[in-house]
Amino acid sequence: MNELLELLRRYGYQLVFANLFLEAAGLPLPAAIILLTAGAMSALGWFKVYWVIAIAIAGMMLGDLLMYFLGRWTGWTILAFLCRVSLNPESCIIKSAETFYRRGKTTLLFSKFIPGLNTVAPPLAGSLNMRLTQFLRLDVVGVSLYIGFYTLTGFLFSQQLERIGQGLTTAQRIVTWVLAVALVGYIAYRVRTYSKNRLYRQVPRVSVYELKEKLDQGEDQIVIYDARSHGYYEEKAKRIPGSIRLEPASIEQVLDTLPRDREIYLYCT
Amino acid sequence: MRDATSVRVAHYLREHGFQTYVVKGGVAAWRRAGYELEPVPHEDRLVLPKFN
Repeated sequence: MNELLELLRRYGYQLVFANLFLEAAGLPLPAAIILLTAGAMSALGWFKVYWVIAIAIAGMMLGDLLMYFLGRWTGWTILAFLCRVSLNPESCIIKSAETFYRRGKTTLLFSKFIPGLNTVAPPLAGSLNMRLTQFLRLDVVGVSLYIGFYTLTGFLFSQQLERIGQGLTTAQRIVTWVLAVALVGYIAYRVRTYSKNRLYRQVPRVSVYELKEKLDQGEDQIVIYDARSHGYYEEKAKRIPGSIRLEPASIEQVLDTLPRDREIYLYCT
Repeated sequence: MRDATSVRVAHYLREHGFQTYVVKGGVAAWRRAGYELEPVPHEDRLVLPKFN
C-alpha cells in the first residue's frame, strides 16, 4: 500500500489515467485499488476528487472505445480467440453472442464490477454492431458507476484505507487462487485429451495432393466433410469445393445419414 | 495436435464402421497448396445476432 501511495504521489493523475486505460484495454491491473487510494488521497488534500473521477472516466472510456472498435473491425475474431480455450469453441461463440445480444445493455452497465466480463463486453458490443452512440451512452453510465463507487468509497473511508486495501488484496488473492486451480484443471483436461488423441493416430491420413488427385480423377466413391468446430459464422468463410458441413458436436445425431459405402474424407483447421 | 477435431470425428466414425480418412493440414493446407476454395453457402452459415 505504501508503494502505491508513493507512486500516486509521484505520478498523480497520469497514473490514474494510464491505469484505467490499460485495465480497460485488457491488462490485469488493480484499477479498483488505484481508485480507492486516489479517492482517499483526495480526502487528505492530495488531489481534487472530481478531477480523479473525470480523468479515470476518460481513461477507462478511451480503453473501452479502443476495444469496441477492435471488436467492430475484427468481427468475431476476438470472441473466437477468447473461446479457443473453451471445451466447445463453437458453442461458446454462439452462446456468448446470443447472451450479449439479449442482455448486452444491462451487461454494459455492470460489467466493470465483474473481472473478465469487463474486458470482453466492449469488444462484444463492437462485434455485434451496437451503435456507437448507444455504446457510449451505456458505457459512460457503467464506467461512472464503477469509478464513482470506488473513488467515493476511498474518499469517504480514507481513515480505513489500509483495512479496505487489505480486504481487496485478500479478495484478489482468493480470485487468483480460484483461477489458478481452474487453470490447472484445464491443463489436466488438455493433457488428457492430447493423450487420448495419440490413440487416434491409427486413423489413416491423406495429403491434400492425394485428395485433389482423387477429385480430379472424378472418383465418385468419395465424400468430403468439413468438421471444423468454428468459423462458419464468418461472412467470408470458405471451404474445400464440394464438401459438406459436419458439426462435430452433434455427430451422433447424423450418424444414420452418413454413407457407409463411400470413403469419407474429413478435414478441419 | 493438428487436425484434432477431424481425427477425433474420423476415429469415432471408424468405430461405427465407416471408412474414414483425415486430410492432413485441413483447409489451411489446401489453401497453401494453391487449390481453389468455395464460399460456404448461405444456408450452411451460422448467423450470429447483430444489433442492426
